[in-house]
Amino acid sequence: MAQSENPGREAILSRIRTALTKPATSHPAKTTGDIFFPIGDALERFQKECGTNNTECLLTDSLSASTAAIAEIISALPSGPIFLQDAPILRRLAPILVSDRKVQWSTEGLPAEESQAAITLAETLVAATGSVFASAACGGRGAAVVAPTHIVLAFTDQLVPDLEAAFARLYQNGAPQKNSMLVLITGSSRTADIEKILVMGAHGPRRFVVALSPRAE
Amino acid sequence: MTTAAQDFLRSAAEKSANLTHRHILRKGIDTYNSAVTRGLSRFMNWEAARQKCHEIKFETINHLDRYLLEFEQHVKERGGHVFWAQNGEDARKYIADLAKRHNVRTIVKSKSMVTEEIHLAAALEAQDIKVFETDLGEFIVQLRGEPPYHILTPAMHLTRDDIAALFKEKLGDVDTNDPGELVAAARRALRKAFFSAEMGITGANFLVAESGMIAITTNEGNADLGVSLPKIHVAVAGIEKVIPRMQDLALFWPMVATSGTGQPISCYNTLIGGPRAPNEFAGPEEFHVVLLDNGRTDLLADPEQRDVLHCIRCGACLNVCPVYRTIGGHTYGTTYSGPIGSVLTPHLRGIHEFNHLSYASSLCGACTDVCPVKIDLHHHLLHNRRNAVTAHERPGSEGSEFKMFRWVMQSSARLAASGAIGRMTMRAIYALGLAGTFFDPTRKWTKMHAAPKIPRESFRAQWKHAQVEKK
Amino acid sequence: MPKVSLFIPCFVDQLTPEVGLDMVKVLRRIGYDVDFPENQTCCGQPAFNSGYWNDARVLAERFVDVFRSSENIICPSGSCTTMVRNFYPELLASTPKHDEATKLGQRVFEFSEFLIKVAKVSDVGASFPHRVAYHDACHALRELHLKNEPRELLKHVRNLELVEMPYSEDCCGFGGTFAIKFNMISGAMGDTKAGNAEKTSAEFLTSTDPSCLMHIDGILRQRKSNVRTIHLAQILASTAEAPR
Repeated sequence: MAQSENPGREAILSRIRTALTKPATSHPAKTTGDIFFPIGDALERFQKECGTNNTECLLTDSLSASTAAIAEIISALPSGPIFLQDAPILRRLAPILVSDRKVQWSTEGLPAEESQAAITLAETLVAATGSVFASAACGGRGAAVVAPTHIVLAFTDQLVPDLEAAFARLYQNGAPQKNSMLVLITGSSRTADIEKILVMGAHGPRRFVVALSPRAE
Repeated sequence: MTTAAQDFLRSAAEKSANLTHRHILRKGIDTYNSAVTRGLSRFMNWEAARQKCHEIKFETINHLDRYLLEFEQHVKERGGHVFWAQNGEDARKYIADLAKRHNVRTIVKSKSMVTEEIHLAAALEAQDIKVFETDLGEFIVQLRGEPPYHILTPAMHLTRDDIAALFKEKLGDVDTNDPGELVAAARRALRKAFFSAEMGITGANFLVAESGMIAITTNEGNADLGVSLPKIHVAVAGIEKVIPRMQDLALFWPMVATSGTGQPISCYNTLIGGPRAPNEFAGPEEFHVVLLDNGRTDLLADPEQRDVLHCIRCGACLNVCPVYRTIGGHTYGTTYSGPIGSVLTPHLRGIHEFNHLSYASSLCGACTDVCPVKIDLHHHLLHNRRNAVTAHERPGSEGSEFKMFRWVMQSSARLAASGAIGRMTMRAIYALGLAGTFFDPTRKWTKMHAAPKIPRESFRAQWKHAQVEKK
Repeated sequence: MPKVSLFIPCFVDQLTPEVGLDMVKVLRRIGYDVDFPENQTCCGQPAFNSGYWNDARVLAERFVDVFRSSENIICPSGSCTTMVRNFYPELLASTPKHDEATKLGQRVFEFSEFLIKVAKVSDVGASFPHRVAYHDACHALRELHLKNEPRELLKHVRNLELVEMPYSEDCCGFGGTFAIKFNMISGAMGDTKAGNAEKTSAEFLTSTDPSCLMHIDGILRQRKSNVRTIHLAQILASTAEAPR
């Protein structure tokens, strides 16, 4: 934006620079050391956290078992299209996952209002909080929130111990650079705005599922 | 006394006497306290966490220009726009003009204290644009025509029956007080808005300089809908919201959640960098970040209180404040309530009109203890009081009273003499049954307390006798 | 005999002298010689808390003069001790008496703090056969970091039943001039505190701070409550021979 269109820019920067000519002092550190407890076994911790945050973690021993588990969930849903991330693996598995339901691919745009579920992949899984880190590459914006059920097909080699490791992994894969959106999902949508009583499924999904297996077939 | 101060006293008196209101707040805060106790147990070293958050914010705020420029550069690289607004008017005009250019008729908005601060919704509605608050608590107070009650839980002053009656009246298709069904009703009503809105407005919990991304946290997922469905996304944030690296969120996300609600982490922590990228198929065509000053650079220029800008708006200080718990959020009469509001408002809205907020505290210090970024909140209330006196913003009579107080206390003989006279007078007044009446100079005290027993002799007099006896 | 000086807060001197007198009794009982610098007046906290730092500074400088030759200085109030130790350095920053005041602050102790941390005594030979609840006064708790010290002393009082009250760490609402300027908020906070004390069925409520106790006492009596207030020093002064 040209200077004439946004004179506030120079004005604010100038005020900041003038303000900072006077130094402030910080609190001295009275305690140092590790902030969080050690994670232990990442898979165990991930499952435990999912139990607390209302994520359905389906641990299976193979991709085909995960596929079958997801297919079972989909078949029980009310009629309506299923939104799928347009990834080669999901293209291949689609007939099993959704059988003869209508499919909406992420390359066609946003999930439809009537979609009953969204199936996507993930960037990384975080054991410490039982979270899934997704990006725009995992089905685009809206994939995680429009449909009332969100199912993530994930693999145990995507699991990292904590958020620090998750950000490092994201940068390693180039995710922040390649995507306009990243989202850390921890459980299903909820609110406690009414008398501090927890209600699930506010605007986002009521049901959040992670089907997790080793990467082998 | 200014109007704001008079309104405050009136509202505070009303709320202080309202036992139902106190009970509702106490219940809400008890729930919060249990959750936070559980949340804190997940930290091996909470104090180290606070210290690290303090250090990250200290580094950022004390190099604010550098980090804001880094942030702006990366936002632009991603195809976003950055507008620097000196005040509310600049910000409102920019957003209103943008909406006009794009023929925006409907806006969906997620919770943002800074948009309350600049009264953005009202400005847009004046242009015939329908603005929907999508955070459930905000949606509720919007329907009631009220400002939010609390930074994090805008409707904490309402019972489910209050909300049921409200929804029945305003939404029509509701006849229940079950929280689950009320939430479903709100979801149905707002779905239409989400899918028809041309613009989504959000705040930003953090602005990440390193990547040019903004971080938005919700439990409901409303912000995620708001940044995905409409054609235009506008994010408004105070200039102090910037942090250096993505990695810093590994600590800030759990800290905000723990202090704010006791959760280990909130449900949706979203990072947005720009409009939809060229290889993406969903998302806005345009992305605008409005950076707001509105008095923050004045606070920045005060090295003693610069750390007030470290605030991450978690709301913990409100929850532990015994004054907030007694008078509630609306009584403060301004956007930011509780201890952070009492410290901040004289700076943002003027010491003349709002210094009373810094005086309306017993200085118990609970706020300072819980602040996740270690702001010296209750000491800053003292600093604001000192500043108010220096700026001659206090009633003249108060200054005279303290001059008299100092004069008396500069001499033990004067203290002994005036003390003896004072005690004698009060004994007489109380003995005559005049406590609490016009004749009682201590009536502000005796209004709320049974009249105290006044001793015949002071300590120093009794000590003197005892010394004389010893000899 | 080791010697200590008394710092008697201005309102204790004038309104609750028995607190000071009982503190003297206890100190002598455990073997201390006690002196009272008679020209002391006030630490200046009321002026400081209201923002009148120039007036407070005058009184702070006077305080330093009054107590210059004292060694350990004992005060039956957490808030007044806090003023001297925690706030004099800031109040007297860039003035000639700053360093002296800072060192002086290291020698000023709240009464229970002195007994436990300096005199290293937890049993002062007291007897007080009653059910007692404890209120954590804010300055003592959050500025001086005293939580266990008063309780330790109370646990050693013969036949005293110590009960924890709900929300014992919540502010009672006194806050100095806050109790006058915002008396309805202060009264509501005190009302809540009084209600919590009553829930314990305690006979007495005690604390380190006479200002809190004055405030809660006035509200308890207005509520015609069964709970009475008593300062920690008075409990510690109470013996089987001379009960309070």
